[in-house]
Amino acid sequence: MSSAKRGLRAFIWPAVLVYTILFVVPAIYGAGVSLFDWNGLGTTAKFTGIDNYVFILTDDAFRQSFVNTIVLAVVGGVLVFLVAFCCMAVLRQMKGRGFIRSVVYLPNIISPIAIGAALSFGLDSRGALNQVLSWIGIPPQSWLGPDLVFRCIIAGLAWSAAGFYVILLMSAVDGIPEDLYEAASLEGVTKLQAFRMITFPLSWDVFATCAVLWVIGSLKVFEIVLAFTGSANSGVPLSARTVAIQQYMSFNDPSGLPRLGVVSAIGVVMFLLSLILVGLTRRLTRRETLEL
Amino acid sequence: MTSASTHTPWHRPPETVWRKTARFFGDILVPNLIKICVWAWVAFNLGLLLWVLMTSVKSTRDILLGPFALPSHIEWSNYATAWDTAGFGQATLTTLVFVFSSLVIVMGISVPAAYGLARRTDRAASALTAYFAMGLALPMQTVLIPYFVVNTSVGQFMIDWVTGAWDPRIGLVVFYSATATPWTVFVLTAFFRSLPASLEEAAQLDGASPWLTFRKIMLPVARGPVTTIAIITGIGAWNETLLVLFLVPDGAQRTLPAALLNMYYGLQYTSNWGALFAGVVLLVGPIVAVFLWLGRRVIEGATLGANK
Repeated sequence: MSSAKRGLRAFIWPAVLVYTILFVVPAIYGAGVSLFDWNGLGTTAKFTGIDNYVFILTDDAFRQSFVNTIVLAVVGGVLVFLVAFCCMAVLRQMKGRGFIRSVVYLPNIISPIAIGAALSFGLDSRGALNQVLSWIGIPPQSWLGPDLVFRCIIAGLAWSAAGFYVILLMSAVDGIPEDLYEAASLEGVTKLQAFRMITFPLSWDVFATCAVLWVIGSLKVFEIVLAFTGSANSGVPLSARTVAIQQYMSFNDPSGLPRLGVVSAIGVVMFLLSLILVGLTRRLTRRETLEL
Repeated sequence: MTSASTHTPWHRPPETVWRKTARFFGDILVPNLIKICVWAWVAFNLGLLLWVLMTSVKSTRDILLGPFALPSHIEWSNYATAWDTAGFGQATLTTLVFVFSSLVIVMGISVPAAYGLARRTDRAASALTAYFAMGLALPMQTVLIPYFVVNTSVGQFMIDWVTGAWDPRIGLVVFYSATATPWTVFVLTAFFRSLPASLEEAAQLDGASPWLTFRKIMLPVARGPVTTIAIITGIGAWNETLLVLFLVPDGAQRTLPAALLNMYYGLQYTSNWGALFAGVVLLVGPIVAVFLWLGRRVIEGATLGANK
């Protein structure tokens, strides 16, 4: 048996090597680059310590993008889980639930660029939404203007992401034995109370996982912002920048000399932020596991 | 609402006015309102798909005249414009090569690794599993600059000293595979753990090598979940944009999402909305087709990752 176990080593090491050399080592290298002032290959790198971090933390554009990202994670998260919980309360006994799950999940596997392109046409000043609003007498709004675009992005993101959490949470709900609901209904418990007293506590573990997944995902929001703000001439407005967008924009610096150290420092901050927020989320969602 | 949680168990509460109201709200009004909203959501998603499909065959003039109006004629030239002028033909080829070569690498290394990690019970194996799980929290943004620097310098080195030519898309495939590996290893390890070891013990007693046991016994059993994970990984590669924007400088060599983004940016000069929507269909259509064909599997795969 032990020789067979040793034989298994050859199964494991290719993946470990690829993951280490091409993902873990680059991450460490990236953390190293963040301590240098460097404009790229062919130029000399100068060690500047934490100057890049000081720079981004005092940079108004970065701070705005940081706040935006947190707002997106919190507001978007509330929206997504509100929708998901509502679905959990009714989707268990609804007709066509398999179909519903598929249709609401679909936007999740569609490229955010395509979603952004299609939705932003609908939100254009002469687009579909303003036309619908004009039928009920509401004046046209500049949905993609700097004032409103970030709200539209959050709404679009919540719409496309919610389906994923619906199917995750429903897979937990499916595991709850039916007789619990039957007993509850014999006792005169309404459907809403059954959600609060049975469905919600028994799917808490999966919800905790979902919350972590949402936090990790929302920190990396990138494509959908590009696609919502793409038609603007001046790039992404400050009010709609996420940290990932800010990083991309400092890489594509108009001067043609990207400060790679700064770009790397933003990447490191994103990693730290995701660790902190994941830890916080896990703490907030920690409950004793209910066993049936 | 609170009355239900305080009454003694196994005793149905009396039907007071308060209970009747609670019953009306909790059993009829609120659930039905939510159901209506859910169906509205479903209708919106389906409507949006149909609307995109319809808009993709409208002339730009028709589109701007009325976003909801039916097309006055079918404008197939939108697709020709997207395919040729906007480079979607080339981008589709690039995307297909990118998706399939990444899949070969990712699945080729993660399926055996997941099996090996699941079957070894020593401390090293569980430490390695945790090591892979760490990669799930590592955002791609942390490694973008290293990838960019390495890809550029390797390319330069190959051009100067070895082959005389280099395609940055090679780096795209390799680096994308590396970032996709932690998730596939993590999910598949959990799956292989759930399979009883008795399956391969008989083969081992007969003297089969671990590799033979893996190929002849484990792979056939694992075909379903492995396919599922491969589909999810493939969809992720198909939609990948960030890495493409950083690693492939030449627009003509980029994949479909980047081609759509490029066309979208050019819209202020071309105003060719019809072709843009044709581009959306070319990017989204294959994914929707896969979903129609294998939707149950895709949903299973998505939930597999979170329930373990």
